[in-house]
Amino acid sequence: MISAAGLAAVGAGLAVIGAGLGIGRLAGSALEGIARQPEAIGNIRNTMILAIVFIEGVALFGLVIAFLAMGK
Amino acid sequence: MTPQISESEDIGDWIVHHLVNRPSWHPLPGVDIPLPETLRIGTIDLSITLHVLMLWVGALITFLLFAILYRKKTSQAPHGLTNLLETLVLFVRDQICIEYLGEEDGRKLAPFFLNFFFFILILNLMGLIPIFASATANINVTAGFALITVTMMIAGGVIRHGPWGFLKIFMPPGLPIFVYFILTPIEMLGLIIKPMALTIRLFANMLAGHIVIAAFISLIIGFKIWGLPFLGGVVFVYALELLVAFIQAYIFTLLSAMFLGSMLHPEHE
Repeated sequence: MISAAGLAAVGAGLAVIGAGLGIGRLAGSALEGIARQPEAIGNIRNTMILAIVFIEGVALFGLVIAFLAMGK
Repeated sequence: MTPQISESEDIGDWIVHHLVNRPSWHPLPGVDIPLPETLRIGTIDLSITLHVLMLWVGALITFLLFAILYRKKTSQAPHGLTNLLETLVLFVRDQICIEYLGEEDGRKLAPFFLNFFFFILILNLMGLIPIFASATANINVTAGFALITVTMMIAGGVIRHGPWGFLKIFMPPGLPIFVYFILTPIEMLGLIIKPMALTIRLFANMLAGHIVIAAFISLIIGFKIWGLPFLGGVVFVYALELLVAFIQAYIFTLLSAMFLGSMLHPEHE
């Protein structure tokens, strides 16, 4: 049988998969944008970091819920 | 098999023990300073705990940095520490406050956001110094910061636009009447969701970073001498945490400024 802590760990892993896909796609698009327009690197970088942090925040919500489930 | 399981449970307890709030401070191995349990109002426990002490130390460091070490009245160009701090101050004022709040409000509210930025930054960095603990890995501390932001949002909106104008922020113009009955409550939910997101983002980022560092260290403890290569992992995550400490302070300040800006200048949305 899988324990509650094990299930919580699987959930945290799933959250990380989603965040990884999102951030990877975002960074790829940002690189394309920089390659096409190198002078816009500052703006693109700032916007990219902001969006990455939002995605990371969602992944961390999942992580916090996994912690809570682990404590049960 | 049995001793391994008990050891892993010990390590889990050790990691949790490092992160939770407790009524004593041990700066060095073997040194344990108990903190007094003084304040108790009714059933609410307001006693001084480790993270409260860390907040005070952080405030003291911030005060020392800007009241004593920061020399703004010099005739020649700033150098050393003043130069470093001035770079950060100008960055927060120009890239965050003036950018999202406009020239006039940005300059007026810059001290508020500078307080946020430097206090959170110093608390984050204190978490990375072994003798201190990280107060921002406590959800109560970050919730307090977010409550300050949401208070500023509501107070700023009401003072700037008046009570009726404040309600109008949540009603985008040019829609049929019945849509407002659904849309306004949903827009108002943002007042609860935004500070919650701020709270959990800062808290979870700091907590997760510390857990990862502690997990790498516990691998070294678990595998004895064979775990020594994980030291590289510890150093890598520590460097990453240094970056995260700056980014999270920046993001918290930036999002606070954006939310406050959307209250003061709703037409920009």
